[in-house]
Amino acid sequence: MELEAIVLPHLDAAYTLARYLTRNDADAQDVVQDAALRAVKYAGGFRGTTGADARAWFLAIVRNTAYTWRQRQQVDARTTEFNEELHSEDTRTDPTASIDLQQALDALPLEFREVIVLREIEGLSYKEISDVAGVPVGTVMSRLSRARQRLQRALSGQAEERA
Amino acid sequence: MTHPIHEAQLDAYLDGELEPADAHALESHLGHCPECTRFLDARLALRSAIKARVPRLQAPTPLVEHVRNQMRPRRPVPRVVWRSLALAASLAVVAFGGWRFGFQRGVGATLADEVLTSHIRSLMPGHLTDVQSSDQHTVKPWFNGKLDYSPPVSDFAAKGYPLLGGRLEYVAGRSVGALVYGRRQHVINVLLWPRTGRDAGPAARTRQGYHLLHWVTRDYDYWAVSDLGLGELEDFKQLLQQADR
Repeated sequence: MELEAIVLPHLDAAYTLARYLTRNDADAQDVVQDAALRAVKYAGGFRGTTGADARAWFLAIVRNTAYTWRQRQQVDARTTEFNEELHSEDTRTDPTASIDLQQALDALPLEFREVIVLREIEGLSYKEISDVAGVPVGTVMSRLSRARQRLQRALSGQAEERA
Repeated sequence: MTHPIHEAQLDAYLDGELEPADAHALESHLGHCPECTRFLDARLALRSAIKARVPRLQAPTPLVEHVRNQMRPRRPVPRVVWRSLALAASLAVVAFGGWRFGFQRGVGATLADEVLTSHIRSLMPGHLTDVQSSDQHTVKPWFNGKLDYSPPVSDFAAKGYPLLGGRLEYVAGRSVGALVYGRRQHVINVLLWPRTGRDAGPAARTRQGYHLLHWVTRDYDYWAVSDLGLGELEDFKQLLQQADR
């Protein structure tokens, strides 16, 4: 399979994943560009035959690139997450404020966010997510369940406050 | 809660990831378990909320263009050449004019290093050519205004050494011209510049698996670098010499 056919059809998926992992547009674009360069470099390692194989292969590179990006930004990221947690707490005690689902997603740890995006938005199978994230299928299963539980709690918290 | 069904299993059921036998067992459990049924209803509500409020995004157009260029940096070059670039050898002839040697001693060795570095750098993605064309009448004028000389450019496609393009190089402290040729899977770089009359050392060298040839014509110093077999590289040198007469 040509490299173009591996990468280009999955740029929306790549950008979506990068965007939700980095939580901003500029960093997401950097991550995708960086991932594309890595794809050029590692193209010889691609063993798949289908479009789905290609998507999982490229998304794995995007995902790893995003994690590298995050390590570089770790101090900032930690601060941001901490503030967001504070913010969520504040919101819950304020009955007039609504918790947006996207904010709730953004507040999830990276490992939870990625399984939600890969499953709910990209529709990947557990096996494919396991390949992308480099963890066993059982881990994918439990992370996904816990991530949904957190989102649901955020939503129902919102509903209760509104009631 | 005392419950035989794990929440993650219910999620897997909704995701269609349970084995048929497990899914069947779970379904019969659901028939008499309002708790699990409520759980699934809440999950379905979450799913539609995500669908509605967490959109799939579209890659911005500049990003798509940028990546597209990363994928196929040099369209006119046969794809097979690009795919093998990392492994392939190239041959470079670099030409540059008015170049002054800062050192008498070891100049040839230093120059050979620079030519080799230029060659290896050119093999990295996106670095091979600045002007991509197999047409010598496109490549030659491209150097106008970029160099203080106009290097001779010939296409040897008929002889199995097609012209792939040209680029600017920075060697020994000044801008020089590089011509890029192909040979089967290999890429050939040629660097040339108005002759300086200085001694550039031995006519042929082998370093890091690359062959470097140096020769002088009436007007130009030539360097060619490649991992192509030395015999073929010498043949190519003859073609260039005949063309620059």
